[in-house]
Amino acid sequence: METLPKERTDEIIKKYDSLPGSLLSILEEIQTSTKGKFLPEDALVRVGEKTRIPLSRIYSVATFYSFFNLVPQGRHTIVVCRGTACHTRKSKELFDYLKAHLDFSHVKSGGSEKELMTTSDGNFTVRTVACFGQCALAPVVEVDGVIYGHMTVEKLKTMIKKISKEKAKK
Amino acid sequence: MRISDLKGLEKVKQSGLKSIFPGKPRITVGMDTCGIGNGAKEVMIELEKTAKKNKLDVFIEKTGCFGFCAAEPLVNIHIPGLPLVILKEVKAKDAGKIIKAIKKKDFSGLNVLCKIESWDHITGEIKYGSGLDTIPVWNGIDFFKFQKKIVLRDCGLINPEDIEEYIAVGGYFPLFKVLNNISPENVIEEVKKSKLRGRGGAGFPTAIKWTLMRQEKSEDKYVVCNADEGDPGAYMNRNEIESDPHMLIEGMVIAAYAMGANKGVIYVRAEYPLAVERLVKSIAQARQYGVLGDNILGSKFSFDINLVEGAGAFVCGEETALIASIEGFAGRPTQRPPFPAQKGIFGKPTNINNVETFCNVPAIISKGADWFMGTGTKNSPGTKVFSLVGKIKNTGLVEMPLGQPLQTVIYNIGGGTGTKKKIKAVQTGGPSGGCIPTHLFNTPLDYESLNSLGTIMGSGGIVVMDDDNCMVDVAKYFTEFTNHDSCGKCTPCREGLYHQLKILEKVCAGKAVDKDISLLKDVGAVIADTALCGLGQTAPNPVMTTLRYFPLEYEHHIKGHRCPSGVCLDLLISPCENSCPLHINIPGYIELFREGRLQESFELILQENFLPSTTGRICHFHCKMRCRREDIDKPVAQGELHRFIADKVYKNGLEKGVYAQILKNKFKSTGKKVGIVGAGPAGLTAAYYLSRLGHDVTVFDAKQKAGGILRYGIPSYRLPKDIMDKELGILKKLGVKFKFGNRLDSEKMKKVAGSYDAVFTATGAYKEMPFEIKGSGLKGVWSGVDFLDKLASGEKIRTGKNIVIVGAGNVAIDACRSARRLGAKVTILYRRGKDDMPANSQEIEESYNEGIGFIFYASPEEIVGDEKGTVSKIIARKMAQGDFDISGRRKPVATDEMIEIPCDTIMFAIGEKVDARYLDGTGVALNRDGTAKTDIFTFVTDNPKIFAGGDLVTGPGTAVEAMGQGKAAAKSIDKFLTGLDRWNSLYKKIEYKNIADINTYSGKPQNDKKIPVTARKNNFNEVSYGLDAKQAQCESLRCLRCDIK
Repeated sequence: METLPKERTDEIIKKYDSLPGSLLSILEEIQTSTKGKFLPEDALVRVGEKTRIPLSRIYSVATFYSFFNLVPQGRHTIVVCRGTACHTRKSKELFDYLKAHLDFSHVKSGGSEKELMTTSDGNFTVRTVACFGQCALAPVVEVDGVIYGHMTVEKLKTMIKKISKEKAKK
Repeated sequence: MRISDLKGLEKVKQSGLKSIFPGKPRITVGMDTCGIGNGAKEVMIELEKTAKKNKLDVFIEKTGCFGFCAAEPLVNIHIPGLPLVILKEVKAKDAGKIIKAIKKKDFSGLNVLCKIESWDHITGEIKYGSGLDTIPVWNGIDFFKFQKKIVLRDCGLINPEDIEEYIAVGGYFPLFKVLNNISPENVIEEVKKSKLRGRGGAGFPTAIKWTLMRQEKSEDKYVVCNADEGDPGAYMNRNEIESDPHMLIEGMVIAAYAMGANKGVIYVRAEYPLAVERLVKSIAQARQYGVLGDNILGSKFSFDINLVEGAGAFVCGEETALIASIEGFAGRPTQRPPFPAQKGIFGKPTNINNVETFCNVPAIISKGADWFMGTGTKNSPGTKVFSLVGKIKNTGLVEMPLGQPLQTVIYNIGGGTGTKKKIKAVQTGGPSGGCIPTHLFNTPLDYESLNSLGTIMGSGGIVVMDDDNCMVDVAKYFTEFTNHDSCGKCTPCREGLYHQLKILEKVCAGKAVDKDISLLKDVGAVIADTALCGLGQTAPNPVMTTLRYFPLEYEHHIKGHRCPSGVCLDLLISPCENSCPLHINIPGYIELFREGRLQESFELILQENFLPSTTGRICHFHCKMRCRREDIDKPVAQGELHRFIADKVYKNGLEKGVYAQILKNKFKSTGKKVGIVGAGPAGLTAAYYLSRLGHDVTVFDAKQKAGGILRYGIPSYRLPKDIMDKELGILKKLGVKFKFGNRLDSEKMKKVAGSYDAVFTATGAYKEMPFEIKGSGLKGVWSGVDFLDKLASGEKIRTGKNIVIVGAGNVAIDACRSARRLGAKVTILYRRGKDDMPANSQEIEESYNEGIGFIFYASPEEIVGDEKGTVSKIIARKMAQGDFDISGRRKPVATDEMIEIPCDTIMFAIGEKVDARYLDGTGVALNRDGTAKTDIFTFVTDNPKIFAGGDLVTGPGTAVEAMGQGKAAAKSIDKFLTGLDRWNSLYKKIEYKNIADINTYSGKPQNDKKIPVTARKNNFNEVSYGLDAKQAQCESLRCLRCDIK
């Protein structure tokens, strides 16, 4: 499994150490610095060693906030906005479509909106967000960091097909 | 660059003004997240390229958001000397046109929103120029007319990434004034005088918080801005930061000075990357220019701000949780006292305010508390920025003086839903707020008024919901959210919300019972009373308000096992089935048809609708309004399809076998007698099912034939009567007896009630609403209903050659098209506009094709007769569009202008009413509008053996809605008569394929063929030929099979 080089982790810790909100900032930067956009276990251990914050507390923080995840995300991340404006414009249908049409058969819990799910081939990660604040474009879906507004199941279908094809070419 | 005195500040101002007035055309593109999401970046790149190519010397830069998100991307153009012009919905390909327009100083070919001649930045004023008279001024258009921009004073007009432009419009001057001329105590005094209240939700007076903090002595004190904006459906803080970050920084520095704080934190959501990026840039710039850091603007005061990105926890909106989060803990709230002002971040005094609260501060300092008090209400002065989203036409950020009625925001500014759907409710305050029904839309938007409705202002999210949104689902949605985001520390919130959620899930699955409602209420009350923090205490609000204002929706789920809005998937086959009043299994019969199983397809339809060919011609097609195919192109022609299937079945004689089965499977006689009053759609449908269930059914009707409105209201060119007669034939075969020519008065009705085991009455709404004006007694004045009735009965009709029909409902349209066929010139007179006409839109379109004249916004005042007492003209008053009523329609208001229309016949068709006097003395109670009072699920009246349905109960509705009620009433009557639930045994299971095609069929929507308009004169031949076989096949393949889950 991917990890973050110790030197990089130390650099991040140094950048925020002793500032208010340092633990959140450190974990955020560690997560965005990894290829799989997650918190590798040994990086968390390193944070504990350097900051003297008990690992138990770091784990508590890493599991409390929805932004963090402890397993790597897939090659492509699809984030469905579940804000109120998106909900009134049927964003649940979008999530349900992804859940039904991508391969999450290995997800033991059966999959819910509140967890991050990665397809068995590691190609897609699907998760939801409480709100992107893009309510005027509702319903909104973010694919690999780009926001797409006025989404429909049909548009999503085309988008997934396109991404899957790109992968096949590679 | 570091500013240390007024001279330095002035110098930067002059430099900033050079980028606002660069001495050449200035183009600014709205580049906040919504703008970018709508393609603003591409627009900006294309504009730069095109200007270069055309050798036009322009200054192009980005700006923030001007608030009108529905019209994004917005592009501002300022040509020296002229007003600033705002273009809307700009696309990259418009760049050429825009550059050309700038060259010519002519904006006529462009999509212009408005112009600004001068702008009050509150901290300063900018004069752009005058001219361009044809373009409306910004505050002359509906979206902005009612707004007042105090917080959004700079948004969409300056470059948010350039501190010099902020200073150019007067920014940081209030800070300078404060640092040099006002003592910290007096700053707090000014804020106190202004009565500024926290804009984060609860509305706590800002000055009280500040005073508490001022009193604390400590080496370190923190001022924190809560920009975590956790409310789903609200984005004003994102926008304020993205569009004008320095206004927040300035507000925080002033606040820090007032409270004696030296450290600042902005806690901003990680989900807002652009806001974070702009804040990082602005903080760096602010330090560089000396408005942040040591010795701010040359004074002795030092303060710096550090940015912390929140990692997605709604509970961190709670101040003690936010403090825990900044300290590096999970965001769990703690008990207060001690208050943060006493013991906050790392034990130091801490003050937390919302973004918007800080943004108001420079404005208050600049103009004074008295000026601020001039806006809003006495107890809630100032403005509030609302994000207006959901099912609303003009989505956007709206800054309103506090205390304005909700309906102004929804209708005047928002423009309603912008679709044919009606608004059902608005939700304010996010997961801590509640749902407000339309009848309370006159509520003023201020803290106390919203609290009194059981909701809160919150951070200012207003989410509009229409008929397609289920209120139980909305309650479930918010409870899911708060249950997940509960920090888990206190039991009432952690366990209570979980149990509320479980109950709501039961309701949505149709598995709840009555007592679950009281349980929901009890649990909600306990959570509200005993939870530790604000999240828990307010979390039951969405459930409590929906229970309070929409109890009927809960009942539909619990008693009716249906979700009328079509959201709760466990309670429906597909959205089309759910919206069909007869609940036909639409995807099922379409699949059977696709598979070539015509007879079975017909059989499946017949289970729910025994008049498929008839209704396939005249239905309002509720199904199409919910068809998901509309996302791709157009709804599937579901009704036309069942007409095609039925017609084909009849043509090939396949129905005989199906009918024979039905007759064979008729239940053994129960020995019970059922009397049905009214042989209209509701009565006949009830007769069909009750006779199949083995009851002895007799139908009474005043007319000589069965059909009611289908025969005596709907003209033959829409519904040929032989088709209906064929389909009604099954009733006699089932043994239904008819007693025609029997109009029941109350004596006869009592007799019927006495001699039958159960009575179902469905006499419809057949009386024309009276319209008494001068001359309405003249010869040549008709009622639309009478005209259609006489026509259908084959009576000789003598109308004139020049007819005016008053009204625009279905009766009016049927009457006008019929009169046209008799050779008359026909004009419709309607007091509202074209889009307000309540008639079926297809029928309206056909009436246009057939040459009907329309006069809108005119209301009849007097009918004038000639010497023989016959109508010679009608005088009407021109109406104008007035303000919105609470339902969102514009009220027609009288003008002084009168018009005269010469004519010889006038027909009134302004609506029908129920006449239920025959129910006197039967024990059936009536509602105030004269309709019969029944239980909405069992259709039983106050007399336990009399049931009622159709228009008699609902007031004028559609034929298929009446049939749906006839069916539901039959089920209930059978249960009443037998004590058993035998309904399901009427159904036979028909299997079909349940695989949805992965590839969407790309076939185009098919339109039925019609006879040419020229061939419609002097006859009542059916207009529509229906679909042909190929078209029907195509339509069936277009179905997306939403039933497959």
